[in-house]
Amino acid sequence: MKKLGVVLGSLVLVSLGLAQGTIKIGNAYNQTGSMSSLDVPASNGAKLAVKEINAAGGVLGMKLELVSYDGKTDPATITNMATQMINSDKVVAIAGFTDSDSALALGPIAQKAGIPFVTAGATSPQLPEQIGSEMFLACFGDNVQAAVGAEFVYKNLKGKTAYLVWDKSTEYTTLLGKYFKDAYAKLGGKLLGEETYKSGDKNFSAQITKIKALPQKPDVLYIAAMPDDIGTVVKQFRQAGLTQPIVGGDGYDTPLLVEVGGKAADNVYFTTHALMDAQKGTPEVKKFIAAYKKEYGKDPENAFAALGYDTIYLLADAIKRAGAPDPAKITAALMQTKGLKTVTGSITFAGTGSRVPQKAVTVVAVKDLKLNLAATLAPSYIPKP
Amino acid sequence: MKYARLVVALALIGLLAGLGPHVLPEYWVRVLIVLGINIILVSSLGLSNGFTGVFSLGHPGFVALGAYVSGILTLELTKKGAYLPDLPGFLAGVQLPFLPATLIAGVFCALVAVVIGIPLMRLSGNYVSVATLGFLVIVNVVLVNAEQFTRGSRTFTGIPPYTDLGWVAGWAVVTLLVLSRVAYSPLGRAMRATRDDPIAAQAVGIHILPARLMAFALGAFFAGVGGALYGHYLVSFSPATFYVAMLVQQLTMLVLGGQASLTGAVVGVSAITLLSEVLRNLERGFSLGSLQVPAVFGASQIALGFIFILVMVYRPQGLLGDRELPLVTGGRVAKGAGPVYKDTVGGGRT
Amino acid sequence: MSDLEYVLQQLINALSIGSLYALVAVGLSIIFSLLRLTNFAHGDMMMVGAFATLFAQLAGLGFLPAVGVGILVSALAGVIIERVAYRPVRGAPDVTMLLTSVALTYILENLGILLFSSSPRNFPLPDWMNHLYSFADGRITFNNINLLTLGVTLLALLFLNWFVRRTQVGLGMRAAAEDLTAAHLVGLDVNRVIVVAFVLASAFAGVAGVLWAAQAGVVEPQMGFTPLLKAFVAAIIGGFGSIPGAIVGGFVLGALEVLIQSLPGDWGLSPYRDALVFALLIAFLLFRPGGILGVRQEVKL
Repeated sequence: MKKLGVVLGSLVLVSLGLAQGTIKIGNAYNQTGSMSSLDVPASNGAKLAVKEINAAGGVLGMKLELVSYDGKTDPATITNMATQMINSDKVVAIAGFTDSDSALALGPIAQKAGIPFVTAGATSPQLPEQIGSEMFLACFGDNVQAAVGAEFVYKNLKGKTAYLVWDKSTEYTTLLGKYFKDAYAKLGGKLLGEETYKSGDKNFSAQITKIKALPQKPDVLYIAAMPDDIGTVVKQFRQAGLTQPIVGGDGYDTPLLVEVGGKAADNVYFTTHALMDAQKGTPEVKKFIAAYKKEYGKDPENAFAALGYDTIYLLADAIKRAGAPDPAKITAALMQTKGLKTVTGSITFAGTGSRVPQKAVTVVAVKDLKLNLAATLAPSYIPKP
Repeated sequence: MKYARLVVALALIGLLAGLGPHVLPEYWVRVLIVLGINIILVSSLGLSNGFTGVFSLGHPGFVALGAYVSGILTLELTKKGAYLPDLPGFLAGVQLPFLPATLIAGVFCALVAVVIGIPLMRLSGNYVSVATLGFLVIVNVVLVNAEQFTRGSRTFTGIPPYTDLGWVAGWAVVTLLVLSRVAYSPLGRAMRATRDDPIAAQAVGIHILPARLMAFALGAFFAGVGGALYGHYLVSFSPATFYVAMLVQQLTMLVLGGQASLTGAVVGVSAITLLSEVLRNLERGFSLGSLQVPAVFGASQIALGFIFILVMVYRPQGLLGDRELPLVTGGRVAKGAGPVYKDTVGGGRT
Repeated sequence: MSDLEYVLQQLINALSIGSLYALVAVGLSIIFSLLRLTNFAHGDMMMVGAFATLFAQLAGLGFLPAVGVGILVSALAGVIIERVAYRPVRGAPDVTMLLTSVALTYILENLGILLFSSSPRNFPLPDWMNHLYSFADGRITFNNINLLTLGVTLLALLFLNWFVRRTQVGLGMRAAAEDLTAAHLVGLDVNRVIVVAFVLASAFAGVAGVLWAAQAGVVEPQMGFTPLLKAFVAAIIGGFGSIPGAIVGGFVLGALEVLIQSLPGDWGLSPYRDALVFALLIAFLLFRPGGILGVRQEVKL
């Protein structure tokens, strides 16, 4: 027992000793457990951003230091990790997570300690209201992207009827499905029905057959799916002969869509943060993809890699404007963020009164194994969070 | 004499709970709270799994029910309107204080345990384990689908943060007191008899079903209470919080300390909690002199898994076996009342 | 789509899912019949087989040789876990063995995450695997993966049937399943029989892993868990410990799952599919512990 104490004690001492001359940012992701397939790319993106910023001279003349722990997709571990980051490591801000379960486990602790917490990819627009003034999103809310999806279906694809399929086992897909239903009905579209599945099933044949047997063929299929499942979904839906446009959210933004789907991914459209294409993307996107590939030897696994990267740039920008690595000043500076160009679009909090950024939503179309820009939209109606 | 020890123990715990938050860093307070909740959860699991030999894999199901029941009962009315707009009338207008909500959560779980236990407690060995695993799956599916009560797979949030060290320490003491009273009473002897030799137990007139059902329901009661405490500690959770990962953690703690010992449950929980915290900090990477060890996330789970297997191979009865502190048994247990693991395993190894 | 076409297509779906469940469940049952071990790590052998196939392909092997490598590797993994983890606890109470397998699956899944990362990876397939057969103007479709799943499962089961009836080791397996101690007393090399059982069961799991990955198009470290749970249900409703039972159970479960999901949406049953399936498992344990085939069991006191 004594030895354990010594080990723990020295860990705390070591981390305190490094505090001089660096700005510490908590890197709160689930490196293992069920959320890790989304969190690890985001964490990798964050590490890459810190490396770039430090190579360019750091912020306020100081180097950034990421303090990483593994949340293990376990809320109790996340609360321990949060206290360690705040009390022993003395981080001035925390970046992290891609799901609201984890964000809501950490959020209240950061809120109480007055430490700004920016989530990279928990897209639930309810988070800031649920946690408080220290909670920021680096991504748009699901209500915005679902509304854009609905408008794209109704106006651009001329889809007067749609069928909704959603993954019932996660919050992201549940919210996306609900918001789509709301926005699509508002536009006058007709939902012919809905069907659910459970992430991990990997066999959707029963649902597919049911959709094929519908008396009226839907013009469009809106499928709210997680990145881990979307390749499988597209592959199986197309193979069974459902040729309608398939539309969804930023969960589709993974190379698996085209790798697994192959030609079947044609006529798939999704709302996301930016066109992640090494040739056709914005200069920021091109630079990011090249840097990520150089650092990790592979393309970004999904949209969360870019969001994790942007979260760090968002914080670095706020720290610079705050003039000092002081949590309260950083929160105030974050609120004043205006037109910050990032890989996933431009982030503005100033003047919106919201801590969910008003970003333009990109709609991507897949054709011949390639991603193309289909539209950049701001929705006319946004469902209430 | 035994009361003197009890008083000393209670006084120490009271002191810890009262002073803890003022002198301990917040991190340690949090570690202690989770440790205390796990003591409640694991010792209550031990009552059925270790003492009656009904090896349940469904414990996280009760923890989940406890957390949701207490969460629904204590949610502020305004938040209820926002988060759970479709709640039936009799629940929509209710906002209970912590203690009654916790008790109701416990009683609710005990009732569920009686209902499912009446059929399930007749099963033996692997079959009861697989059936209770089925119960866990069913609870998970129902929680995901009962959206008007649970928000489905969306995070259930806004729960008042009632749980502190005092509540946890208090409930942990109550749990251990009640469980030790039961486990080392004639009823407890009956429970152990149904574990060691069900046929002989029946022959001497012990009714197996009531003995096992009692253990299962009591275990479920404290699982519900522990779940409520856990819910009010986390203040937000979802059905995924109470699934297989939680089960594996509880099992690791239970088998390390010794399934048939309440002291063992406490030892197992404490050892695994400390070990996970140490490993969690080591796996982030560290430097030993000039040697830089990089971060290997996931190493702590693998290490815990190996410890689990080593215990199973070399000490399946756990660190403590069936030994207890005299404080726990109150001198009510005869020597040699332990489980039959030792003989079977020794003889069975080829 | 006419009603008949609808039923036919769902039947095809059920056969395809059911044969996979049967393939996994058979391995569970073989091991259970010998050791009374409820092997949670069985699902991870699927993961091992699928990942080995993936890496063999990435190393330049053709698809079929790569599958061969995958099956070999999963069989080898089965032998290793038997030797390292299960042999030392052989003969211990059921619960000790069950817990050992829980710990083992925990280690294997986390090792998988550590080595391969938990993001799914594309599982490359040759084009002929995805070849589609289409009838009635595309209202009824199935592809070579579906056909292969069914065909390979039937072949594997025929092979198993031949093996346990016609080979010495196979006969030994049946004798040992009847009574391990007695088999040992009459001079049967029990260790050899058990190792062979693990080779067979894990190889089957490896095949199932490859087929599962082919249907999904991806492999990931946690891929084995869902099919494992389903295989438990299949093995038990068929009659735990019995090979024909596992097969029947697998197909019945596949049919049941598809049935629940193909019912009209306003019945509202499909989200409860897994709950219903496990409720059925519990019902079988209580009222027909021997499963559909009525295998002799001592499940009650």
